[in-house]
Amino acid sequence: MKNPQDTAHIAFVHEQDADASVGPNNNGGDTYGIQNPSIPEQPLGFSKRPSISAGRIDRCLSSGRPAFIGYLPFGFPTCADSVKACETLVRHGADFVEIGLPYTDPVMDGPVIQTACRIALQKGEHIADVFRAVQAVADAGGVPLIMGYWNLVFHYGVDRFASDLANAGGAGMVTPDLVPDEAGDWYEASQRYGLDRIFLVSPDSSEQRLKCVARNHRGFVYATSRMGVTGERDTLDSAPEHLVKRMHAAGAKRVCVGIGVSNAAQAQQVGSFADGVIVGSALVHTLLDDSGSNALPTGEGLDALAGKTEELADAVAHSRI
Amino acid sequence: MSVLDELVAGASEDARRREQSVPLHTLQRMADTAAAAIDCSGWLRQDDGIPVIAEIKRASPSKGMLGDIPDPAKLAMEYESGGARVISVLTEERRFKGSLEDFDRVRSAVHIPLLRKDFITTDYQVWESRAHGADMVLLIVAALDDNSLHHLLELTQRLGMTALVETHTREEIDRALEAGAMVIGINARNLKDLKVDVGVYRDLADHLPNGIVKVAESGVFGNVELERYARAGADAVLVGEGVATAEDHSLAVNNLVAAGARVKASQSKPLSEHQGPYFGRFGGRYVPEALIGALDELTDVYGEAKNDSAFQNELTTLGRQYVGRPSPLTEAPRFAERLNTQTGLNSRVFLKREDLNHTGAHKINNALGQALLVKRMGKHRVIAETGAGQHGVATATVCAKFGFQCRIYMGQIDARRQALNVARMRMLGAEVVEVTEGTRILKDAINEALRDWVTNVEDTHYMLGTAAGPHPFPTMVRDFQKVIGEETRRQLSEEFSIDHPDAICACVGGGSNAIGIMNTFLDDERVNLYGFEAGGHGPVSGEHAIRLTPGTGEIGLFQGTKSYLLQNEEGQTLDTYSVSAGLDYASVGPEHAWLKEIGRVHYGYATDDEAMEAFRDLCETEGIIPALESAHAVAGAYKAAADLKSRGYVSPNIIINISGRGDKDVVTAGKWFGYLTPEQIGALDAGATDHATMPEGTNHS
Repeated sequence: MKNPQDTAHIAFVHEQDADASVGPNNNGGDTYGIQNPSIPEQPLGFSKRPSISAGRIDRCLSSGRPAFIGYLPFGFPTCADSVKACETLVRHGADFVEIGLPYTDPVMDGPVIQTACRIALQKGEHIADVFRAVQAVADAGGVPLIMGYWNLVFHYGVDRFASDLANAGGAGMVTPDLVPDEAGDWYEASQRYGLDRIFLVSPDSSEQRLKCVARNHRGFVYATSRMGVTGERDTLDSAPEHLVKRMHAAGAKRVCVGIGVSNAAQAQQVGSFADGVIVGSALVHTLLDDSGSNALPTGEGLDALAGKTEELADAVAHSRI
Repeated sequence: MSVLDELVAGASEDARRREQSVPLHTLQRMADTAAAAIDCSGWLRQDDGIPVIAEIKRASPSKGMLGDIPDPAKLAMEYESGGARVISVLTEERRFKGSLEDFDRVRSAVHIPLLRKDFITTDYQVWESRAHGADMVLLIVAALDDNSLHHLLELTQRLGMTALVETHTREEIDRALEAGAMVIGINARNLKDLKVDVGVYRDLADHLPNGIVKVAESGVFGNVELERYARAGADAVLVGEGVATAEDHSLAVNNLVAAGARVKASQSKPLSEHQGPYFGRFGGRYVPEALIGALDELTDVYGEAKNDSAFQNELTTLGRQYVGRPSPLTEAPRFAERLNTQTGLNSRVFLKREDLNHTGAHKINNALGQALLVKRMGKHRVIAETGAGQHGVATATVCAKFGFQCRIYMGQIDARRQALNVARMRMLGAEVVEVTEGTRILKDAINEALRDWVTNVEDTHYMLGTAAGPHPFPTMVRDFQKVIGEETRRQLSEEFSIDHPDAICACVGGGSNAIGIMNTFLDDERVNLYGFEAGGHGPVSGEHAIRLTPGTGEIGLFQGTKSYLLQNEEGQTLDTYSVSAGLDYASVGPEHAWLKEIGRVHYGYATDDEAMEAFRDLCETEGIIPALESAHAVAGAYKAAADLKSRGYVSPNIIINISGRGDKDVVTAGKWFGYLTPEQIGALDAGATDHATMPEGTNHS
């Protein structure tokens, strides 16, 4: 037998010399209760944190209604005001706030959200500040999600972004231009920090694609009510209801519907079959003036937002009665 | 006592205890009747993937319990269904909470090779492994002296099994090789932060001879680490916690397998035959889910068409009868003289004349190819983006020819700068939509085209104009453009009796003309390839479209693909600038990003000033007015010549791809060189909105 000098340099026992640095994702010990306390935890393990989104949706459903998810872009009209707007959403009845990261090239967004995001960028929005909004939503009792075009997250660092999001109390991310096939590093980081992976599906998605999303998602699936980009519409057809059915059949337990849900009647209609109702442009619209290209003064905007939120929350609450 | 000593001592003691109830000769009888071991050394090295060894691991000394794993057989089947090549079962009882019973349960459940992982230091343990049906065993170099290592390795091999020999240092690798190891595991964990140091892995792995199977053993959780190891040359990976503690074990293994396949596919040879979706770590499909169906359909239809001789014949015939192919290869002796005077070389210069194509540029090659696919898909509406109009005109042209409904998106700023081309597209029957969102230039036109496509994907084809965007566009557009290089090679040989060019120069915006002329030559190392980006006012000015020179672009995801991208510190897309609208784009095709990374193509840039000088040089010496885009390739020829000279060339043959003609740029050039008075400029600007005075020239996009 050889007596090696540095026995820890062996994969088999590699964790032995770990520093006691402990990530936000401690697992193992508290779950199983068998951990040897003298041995530090490795910071790289997978989180066992259950899905926050799934938990909240289930709570809503068990009280007889779907979840109400409101979208607002971060940094619009300013960083501070957008944090207030996020809190307003929660205080007036939203269960979730989907906080959008403004991006120069938002291909899934229509004119209203494009305008808001452009204003945010002109005001010097910083991606690193978004976690303040996440924290504010969590503190107010809402579930914070981030909606981000993938280059922003990729550039920030997927693992770092996931870590910061989890630390701020975030539940997960909606990824409008990231499909499961390309989501390897997000899959890994989201497992590591216990975050939800919310992918989109659309009415013409094939069964095979729905199954792929069902298998890879965590929390809920975002079903778009129609083909196309975000924006208000006068009517909704039967496409979303059919899509929700197909998505459930493909194996996703929770399916929320967004894009084009603009008013109380539509929210009520969607709420009758979806596990969650997502409203974006209609809420953002309340923060814009009549020209549609400038933000309203803060107080005025927040009042309008609160009113619209209550109206929609009420409609969602009564969608299954 | 060190941890390893303790583990080894415990394992030996446990083995001695077992030996008392099951003596060695009993094991030997069991081994004789056990199913023969599978030879794993070949199994662990694949051309099309990175085999995953998935581990059944309940606990580790540092982390305590990872999971109860009440049913290891079920877990093994989940690993197998996810695509694991080998399953590793920890049998160490004290700290890893494994057992031979676990191993037996797994053995009865799956038929892929099993690795027994324990602290093996005795013959008894090796025989025991075989008796229980193991195909592989782990031998830890640090736990064994040279004689024991050699002896146990030999015994393992004699019993038909494969030893995974674990090493951490170069010395240990030498000892493993000396002992005859064929499959070597390398642990490259940085013990300070527990992150895997791929650099250390690479150094160690580089030290291994080719025939040895290299297994990366430490810290693989997901595809991030797997890809790093794979790109550093690992043949296989061993994954424990990353799959054992995942929420969906089968999916976790499957993601790793898919990532491995992706890496292998992106490393295939020869270079000219890459088919996407990935070129090295670049490419892919970073698009909304709503487009995946259309991209899949396009991929399938193109795949069929490519192998359909009727399709190829139709395209070739159209090229000949409608476009005017082959485009000539023109020797440029007076330009060469100017180049030689400046550089001191004795070179010959040849121009590939894509400027003589119908519509005045190479863009028509791609537009025709895609139009045939539109017909094949049964779609009847076509949308496209255009910067200054070249691709817009090509698209409008083929739509007129095939009777498709056509809408062209053009940034408002570009549309105003290129009012004549707007009129031209309209004359060809296209609807031209001015985009007022964003920065109102090419990238915003692409965004708007993508939004249209997301909305109308069922009956609409997006005729992307360059070798960028999501798969299959980079591959497909390249294929439609590679005729440029194929003709060049043939013409050089047949008309000039030159076997191969020494250098090829092309401009790179999205990169379709460049990849079109370079593709044929990628595997011919005698041919030096040079791509030139738009230098605008120079790299430090911030006003340019240089993506591939250090300090400019960074890796990012833009408009459907992973490539180099001009972005700010927040990941927002930067504005670009160039005198030539066709090169004025924030990103670049993924194949170019990869060719830069592997060093096959030299990328440089030409500033506005350099391009304009070269523009004039070609006009004056050869009577050929190149597009401003192509003028960047002409300017680049001077730089390529200097590079060739520094590398010892004396009489090189240089090809310049003249991707388009410069009639469209005469106003710009006239202003630049002072050939136009302010009054004339004013009259021209007014005339630009008058459709009657339209020149035949077009613009790049």
